[in-house]
Amino acid sequence: MTGAAISTSALVKRYGRRRALDGFTLAVPQGAVMGLVGPNGAGKTTWMMCVAGFLRPTDGTIDVLGRGPFNASVHSGRLSILPQDSALPLEANPRALLYRYGRLQGLSAEVSRASTAEVLAAMNLADRADSTIRSLSHGMRKRVMLAQCFIGSPEVVLLDEPLNGLDPAEQSRMRNFILARRGRQTIVVSSHNLNDVEILCTHVAFVENGRVVRMATVRDITSAAGRVVYTLAAAPADPSALVEALSSALPGTSFSWKGEAELACDFAASGADVAAVNAALLPVLIGKAGVVSVAAGQSLEQAYLKHDSV
Amino acid sequence: MRSLARIFQVALAECAGALRSRRALVLLLLYIVSAACCMYGTISIFGRMEQELAQLLQLPDADKTGVVSTALWQSKPFQKMVRAMVSNDLVYADIQGRHPIELVYAWFVFFCAPLLVVLTTGNRVADDLKSGAVRYSIVRCTRAEWSLGKFAGLALMLVFALAASAVGAWCVAVCRLSNATSLLPAMFDWGARAWLYSLSWLGVALGISHFTRSGSRATALGIFAVVALCALPGVLWMNAKWFDCPWLQNFEILTPSSAKILLWRRSFAPLANAAFRLVALGMFFFALGVAVFRRRDA
Repeated sequence: MTGAAISTSALVKRYGRRRALDGFTLAVPQGAVMGLVGPNGAGKTTWMMCVAGFLRPTDGTIDVLGRGPFNASVHSGRLSILPQDSALPLEANPRALLYRYGRLQGLSAEVSRASTAEVLAAMNLADRADSTIRSLSHGMRKRVMLAQCFIGSPEVVLLDEPLNGLDPAEQSRMRNFILARRGRQTIVVSSHNLNDVEILCTHVAFVENGRVVRMATVRDITSAAGRVVYTLAAAPADPSALVEALSSALPGTSFSWKGEAELACDFAASGADVAAVNAALLPVLIGKAGVVSVAAGQSLEQAYLKHDSV
Repeated sequence: MRSLARIFQVALAECAGALRSRRALVLLLLYIVSAACCMYGTISIFGRMEQELAQLLQLPDADKTGVVSTALWQSKPFQKMVRAMVSNDLVYADIQGRHPIELVYAWFVFFCAPLLVVLTTGNRVADDLKSGAVRYSIVRCTRAEWSLGKFAGLALMLVFALAASAVGAWCVAVCRLSNATSLLPAMFDWGARAWLYSLSWLGVALGISHFTRSGSRATALGIFAVVALCALPGVLWMNAKWFDCPWLQNFEILTPSSAKILLWRRSFAPLANAAFRLVALGMFFFALGVAVFRRRDA
């Protein structure tokens, strides 16, 4: 990954007195899958719309692929977006529509046709490729909208709530589709589903009140919590005796039961890392109760909720 | 070159969308039916006049309408009346040898073009802005290219609509008149002139359509603009007279109607002049809308 695919600095978008973006500064590394997480009205969609050139920022700077703010003559075919609340032409059929979008972004007829067939197959729409958009279900229309983002493999793809409205099977297919693009395309995903963000994204930015309040890699956020959760094979007969044995095995740690057979160990104060904690505690746990699984850190959801409550 | 290709793609999409959604069919039907009705009504009036004349002069009734009215058209008193109505000697000289029915069609297309154009095209940009469909395109082409593509697509559809209206009017004329079979080329000629005139109104309608996200509001504003621009020459003339400001009448050049009179001429120079002025005017109003669109949120 070299440089930023998208870089916005002190971006402000004002609607009358209200500031939808209030100094939004974010650099999305090339090849990253960046998740934007935040409450409704935080400015995630507004930021995407500014980056795609739909909205004119009141202040601040935008740079897309090192060529300044979005300009269709420069960025056509290099950036695509799944916009929220934007209907596709109802009378068109997916095949013709996607082909035309490909042609519009400068693909030759042959390449556009091939790319259309490829994304239609990837979105599981090949059998409905010639139906009108009007006749498609909400989920299918969403898949056509997603398909248009990947025509011609643009370098930057902005996805606003990409999995909303898809059935579980299609959500899984779409997740795999995005995961397969990691490192090849720069993808920004705005989502309220933190589990999806954790699975899909390499980076995450917490957005609040029109600005980024935290930006880090997903790994940093989920592993930096100083916590390991052990799922035991069975609930111990004497939980307090087990905790006592563990505390003496690794001084400076604290333990909390999350259920009858789930024990969380907070080790930040001990100065140890995850490997050292496991080396000290696992023999005790295996000997006394048996261990089914070990989970280091915390989920993105936990990290976000912890951050949100601060 | 790439810009032209994008404009072409948008124009193609506009035409394909119109065909699929049956908007094109409605457009064609509107032009054909209105032209046919106008022709039917006019010929009926001619027919009644002929019948009464025939009774008055105790002549045998003709099988088809047209014999007496052609004679009437060529009569000196009627020509004098036409000359007074046209109030332009050059135009009068040019239309003198023309068949009255083709002139009726010409009058109809020139008269109805502004309203038909606004009614059929005025909402096209506003509707796409409202639905958000425009976003899928303007991330791939510039806003100006998208707008020009829309203009080109709609202009192309108007060619077919006017050609269809000429055929519709001609069919009615052939069925109801004795000497109208040879009129089709002349009808197409007037249709082509009306297309030039329509381009300026297309510019007005699409220009306005860029200002709002509501299709019905865009159409309403377009109708208002048609009324205002058609009334403007009269208002300017009155003000110029009352306030003794003859320069006021120069603003008439901003209205498509000011160039319309040249479309009645036969020779190339005035026609080219009219074509240039009408296209320039259309582009002027259209460019105003595009300029606003380029600076607004989409």
